[in-house]
Amino acid sequence: MRLTRSLVALAVLAALALPTGCAGASDTDGTDGAAGGEPYLIGAVVSLTGTYAGLGVPEKQAIELEVARVNEGGGINGRPVEVLFEDDATDAAKAQAATVRLIEEGVIAVIGATGTGQTMAMRTDLERAGIPQISMAGGSVVTAEFSEWVFQTPWPNRVVVPFVLDRMAEAGYTEIGIISDTGGYGVDGRDIILASAATPGVTIVADEAFNPGDTDMTGQLTGIRGANPDAILMWAAGKEAAIIAKNMRQLNMEQPLFGGPGIARAEFIEGAGDAGEGVKLAAGKILVPDSYGEGTEPYTVASSFIERYTEAYGTAPDIFAGHAYDAFGLLADALGRIEGEATPEAVRDALEATTGWVGVGGTFSYAPDDHNGLSADDIVLYVIDDGTWRLDQ
Amino acid sequence: MGSAELLQYVIAGLKSGAIYALVALGFTLVYGSTGVINFAQGEFFMLGGMLSVFFYQMDLPLPVAGAAGVACTALIGVAFERIALRPRRDSGPLVLIIITIGGSMVLKSLARHAFGPNEATLPEFTAGPSLDFAGAAIERQTLWVWGLTLVAVLALTWLYRKTRFGRSMQACSLSHDAARLMGIDTARVVMVSFGLAAALGALAGLAVTPLTQTSWDVGAGAGLKGFAAAILGGLGNPVAAVAGGLLLGLLESLSIAFVSSTYKDAISLVVLLLVLFFRPQGLFGRARKEKV
Repeated sequence: MRLTRSLVALAVLAALALPTGCAGASDTDGTDGAAGGEPYLIGAVVSLTGTYAGLGVPEKQAIELEVARVNEGGGINGRPVEVLFEDDATDAAKAQAATVRLIEEGVIAVIGATGTGQTMAMRTDLERAGIPQISMAGGSVVTAEFSEWVFQTPWPNRVVVPFVLDRMAEAGYTEIGIISDTGGYGVDGRDIILASAATPGVTIVADEAFNPGDTDMTGQLTGIRGANPDAILMWAAGKEAAIIAKNMRQLNMEQPLFGGPGIARAEFIEGAGDAGEGVKLAAGKILVPDSYGEGTEPYTVASSFIERYTEAYGTAPDIFAGHAYDAFGLLADALGRIEGEATPEAVRDALEATTGWVGVGGTFSYAPDDHNGLSADDIVLYVIDDGTWRLDQ
Repeated sequence: MGSAELLQYVIAGLKSGAIYALVALGFTLVYGSTGVINFAQGEFFMLGGMLSVFFYQMDLPLPVAGAAGVACTALIGVAFERIALRPRRDSGPLVLIIITIGGSMVLKSLARHAFGPNEATLPEFTAGPSLDFAGAAIERQTLWVWGLTLVAVLALTWLYRKTRFGRSMQACSLSHDAARLMGIDTARVVMVSFGLAAALGALAGLAVTPLTQTSWDVGAGAGLKGFAAAILGGLGNPVAAVAGGLLLGLLESLSIAFVSSTYKDAISLVVLLLVLFFRPQGLFGRARKEKV
């Protein structure tokens, strides 16, 4: 009796654990498209679980949407595209293991990863195998530590940070306090803030940090309040950002709060509630498509993507879905320009030759010494107003 | 540093500390009746927040949604003991502890699939601006956190000291076999302590959600802090668990004030190690003398 009972319990546990058990396995998309011939095999490493799950899920959805569209339209050069997805669970070691699996599958390019740390962990194996990588992570290090095999779609901190500091200086905030997380994104941002603050004439009067997962930042903010800054610049992503906005409200701090693309998420607005009103953040133009300029090519591209994504998934795409759209779009564009066999090397060369490709995150032009291809012209400053984003001024 | 500023750090510390204390109480309860550290305790914290959000989004009023979230988590705690632990109860503490680790992974993955990957939030229990106390700001939700912690520790102390059931729990913590010989239904005591521990964790998860938001992956962090608080205070004693929690929160907050915000977790863990080195039974725990 005892034995059967424990067997039943084990079976129940095993059944419950099954959905996660499968999470590491590959699933495929797009083999049943209208196009014929041998498919182009592409790998994608995204964070579907873990801290960055909220970023990785829309990324996967955007890629699936675009793969289906390309294949229904006859594929690329008459050949369909097949994408193998791997979940890195927001873990650098798992991203590296996933990369090895994808290389063994014989992919000609890899999109990924969602996070900066995971992106960097994939590099060595891809370089050794000679396969191009297109990262959707915003850390400057991705393209600042240059590799001829690695490309990037988001605006890196080294473009966004000076943009925000300029805007703060223009508004007359010259003494600022900064708060950043100790993860890859925050540390990268903080280093660039400290290095580039002097150019627009901004002084850092307080510099506090917190650990990802912390749930209360009133201590750090009390320190910042003591230094009496004109404004506060926060470099963080994830739910801690909303806590900071709320903690400021709780401490009756009146200073304006600025941030970067890491907080351009509906969850920030929802989580911060009233405390989020008036927060200013720099991000790409996808949040308010009018900022592309109505009737321009970027406007057409973005609104078509927004429309299709909203129809498929019931919500408007966020900036992370946009990064994934750009990563796949750049790759599809490069594949279309290749004459002859699409070897990984040929894909890399074609990617580097990208000129003026219009995506959601901006207009991309890669060069042998620039694998990011975006500039400050592709970002704008938003203010959170009445629970949504509005262009500042 | 002005006195108002210092007071602000102390308030921040006591706020985090009260949350650690509630989670630590859950560890203490289960340890008291089974001798096992329940590593799924943090997931009860997560479930309390996520289930309350789930009920709140079904348009239930906040008090009802919160109560339903806590009650459901308590039931999950009872079911967890019944399904996963009881069949192996004669296997010794190590096996049971490993089962709780596995259970925490299952609960976490299920929550990820049921509630999705994004963070969620609840409105504050009583809305309004922060209160001013000698120049330091206290938000209203913090008063709720403190109030709930106080009620929980008073109720538990009363349960332990004044009720027949509380005495059964104490008997179980000394020896299951002896308790059974005295006619105590030990299986029921263990089951109820799991339910209570889950409810306490859920209460903490519910109370902080308006302050910090919640998501499917907050359990591990809360469990770690609560475990550290329980060890710091001394396992098996509700008052010690609360003292350990408040002390841990204060340590972290004052580390930010006087040392560095980057190393606050490291500093509090070093203190924890020092305490364990000099007082393995915890600051307020009583050393157990084994008679041979």
